[in-house]
Amino acid sequence: MAQEVTKKQVLLRMIGFGVASAAVYGAVFQHANAITELFSRGGVYAAAPIATVFLVSYVHGGFASNLWSALGITAKAPSKTVQATKTKRPEVRATLNA
Amino acid sequence: MDVALDSLKFIDLTTSSIIFLFIVGFIGGLVSGFIGSGGAFVLTPGMMSLGVPGTVAVASNMCHKFPKALVGAIKRFRYGQVDIKLGLVMAASAGIGVQVGIKIQNMILAAWGQAGSNLYVSVSFVAVLVFVGSYVFYDAMRSSRNAGADETPALARRLQKVELWPMITFKTANIRISLWFTVPVGFATGMLAATIAVGGFIGVPGMIYVLGCGGLVASASELVIAFAMGLGGTINWAMHGMVDIRLTLIILAGSLLGVQLGAIGTTLVREVMIKIVMGSIMLIVAVSRALALPKYLAQLGLMDISPERVALMDQASFIIMCAALTLGAVIILGAMFKARRANARLEREAYGQA
Repeated sequence: MAQEVTKKQVLLRMIGFGVASAAVYGAVFQHANAITELFSRGGVYAAAPIATVFLVSYVHGGFASNLWSALGITAKAPSKTVQATKTKRPEVRATLNA
Repeated sequence: MDVALDSLKFIDLTTSSIIFLFIVGFIGGLVSGFIGSGGAFVLTPGMMSLGVPGTVAVASNMCHKFPKALVGAIKRFRYGQVDIKLGLVMAASAGIGVQVGIKIQNMILAAWGQAGSNLYVSVSFVAVLVFVGSYVFYDAMRSSRNAGADETPALARRLQKVELWPMITFKTANIRISLWFTVPVGFATGMLAATIAVGGFIGVPGMIYVLGCGGLVASASELVIAFAMGLGGTINWAMHGMVDIRLTLIILAGSLLGVQLGAIGTTLVREVMIKIVMGSIMLIVAVSRALALPKYLAQLGLMDISPERVALMDQASFIIMCAALTLGAVIILGAMFKARRANARLEREAYGQA
């Protein structure tokens, strides 16, 4: 079961992932043309865009997840449905309490 | 060091194009996180409208699709909604479907040229979306009237009773069915993905009505299929050097925010909302693609229509497609907002009683 995280932890994670995400985006767009040209050479260079999107999905995904939590938009815990008892209840019988 | 890009392959990015891609990415992500697919049908033509060549648009879209699906699948797995086994079994047959779909596309392209291929894609779009979308929408309305009480569809009940080796139990989906019934659904998902880029429009209804999964598990497991197919497709496109990483990253910036919000939304609203959103989007997109049909019929010499009218219908088609995605997002956000307000009211009442 996931541990409860405090609001402060969520904020810290959001900032941490946010900075990492900004760093990745900054690095790519600082040299956008060179990177786009390099990543589109085909062949073994195909690994580069795939590795980049995996990295972005981790850092930016982590940022996005904590951002929504920090804004108070969180999932609702699944409600525990009460299962009907499977054992057959004893039938009511007339008894004589004498 | 500044490198000049091949202007035939890569566009110059402007502020407005970045904002457009980010917003469409966000809305597409929101819808994908909620119904398991969507967004691609607007993103690819959207990128092409910015001047991106078709193949680069498809490749860049696919390269953003699989990490988005991965993040959405992980999020929904934490909510106990993903049946990984079902997703992987379906993805295996979907992979074959994609290959067959590409072969058919190439055959049509060779026989009737680009216009014939476009006509085939649009006719497939309209036929599948009208047929499946109408049923999903009808079923959503029926379930909605029955206070969301979802029961296993009759076809799925019948198929689950057929003991045909090998029988597979999907624990999260809570179904036991023969592998042979999952194969055609997966295959059709792959075929559709190769044809119109949105396999989920067959995959999710297929899992619900043929296999007997609930809407939540079906839409969540579709993300596993989307991840597997998207990764395979991206490797292929990237090996040919067709991915524009700038476009992919901009779309991903929006879609990773959206997909998580959509995933959260599935825990807040009634399950029937998934069918309502999916049915609505499918039917509106069908109208949009139907408007594109005359252009291709005219190119093949099967219809006489003025170029001005074709241009007008093209514009209307794109606007209606954007409207479909926006409507989906509005329904999801509206339902989430209502559900959160209702939850807050219940909590206040419970607190008052304590």
